[in-house]
Amino acid sequence: MSIIDSIKSKAVRSPWLYRINAGSCNGCDVELATTALIPRYDVERLGCKYCGSPKHADIVLITGPVTAMVKDKVLRVYEEIPEPKVTVAVGICPISGGVFRGSYSVPIMLDDIIPVDVNVPGCPPRPQAILEGVAMALDIWKTRI
Amino acid sequence: MVLSIFKVLWNNLKQGPSTDPFPFGETFTPARLRGKVTIDPDSCVGCGVCATVCAGNAIKHVEREDGSGKDFYVWHNTCTFCGMCQHYCPTKAIRLTNDWSTAHCNEDKYKMKEQEFVAYARCTECNQAMPNMPHAMLDHIYGTPTKELETIYGLCPECRRQKSAQQFGAHIHD
Repeated sequence: MSIIDSIKSKAVRSPWLYRINAGSCNGCDVELATTALIPRYDVERLGCKYCGSPKHADIVLITGPVTAMVKDKVLRVYEEIPEPKVTVAVGICPISGGVFRGSYSVPIMLDDIIPVDVNVPGCPPRPQAILEGVAMALDIWKTRI
Repeated sequence: MVLSIFKVLWNNLKQGPSTDPFPFGETFTPARLRGKVTIDPDSCVGCGVCATVCAGNAIKHVEREDGSGKDFYVWHNTCTFCGMCQHYCPTKAIRLTNDWSTAHCNEDKYKMKEQEFVAYARCTECNQAMPNMPHAMLDHIYGTPTKELETIYGLCPECRRQKSAQQFGAHIHD
């Protein structure tokens, strides 16, 4: 094993999660808080940890239908996250617009402006489904680092 | 009151860790959890109530050009799992399973759908296409099936009207 490979195998253990609310109704955010905060679902078993700054993040979880008002702000925060990053769309809103699809204030889907890797549909998704999505994002992140 | 905390502590000690083993082990799924939608094309009459009440606009009925039936689509990526389709379905053809496992890669975004073909029935008299009515539904509408009713089941609305009129002694002129 070369030095780079050994560094890679050690480095992939602790991705930091960052959460962007792109106009969400707070339902998915509550579920994300549930997966992270209460010991019943405990996302930190996967080696993940929520962080407060986009500059520290590795996996970004985006909720909400990307409203016209928040679009530029989402892009600005997304740009600050260092490469390699993995994007997870949580809930049906960022994936398809959900129940807000066709509204004048929801002109685009998330994957029109940002490369999305994993989708976790649901309104809101179960904490287990979010854990599943984060686990998928971890696998993708391991291939990128 | 003071002793109740000891009861809680004792129960916690007995039950062990409360962390859900998922994703390293099996998780608990309630039997009535509202998850992915499934369709039973045999009992669907294609009335479209599910598409009308769908909050997320996830259900789509597309009629085939050759008139053989309808394509029934449910896109999971915009389904809110509200269960209104199941509630309003007259024949219980559309149903929410307790399968909550929905995470997928973005490449499969448009593959996350249920697709079924709901075939039309043919009138035994004039061979015209008509909605397929399952027997359970017809029995519910007309009551206990008799021999006369059984013949009416296979007829289109127009032929059925004529047949019923004839049974009452009316003379129909073409």
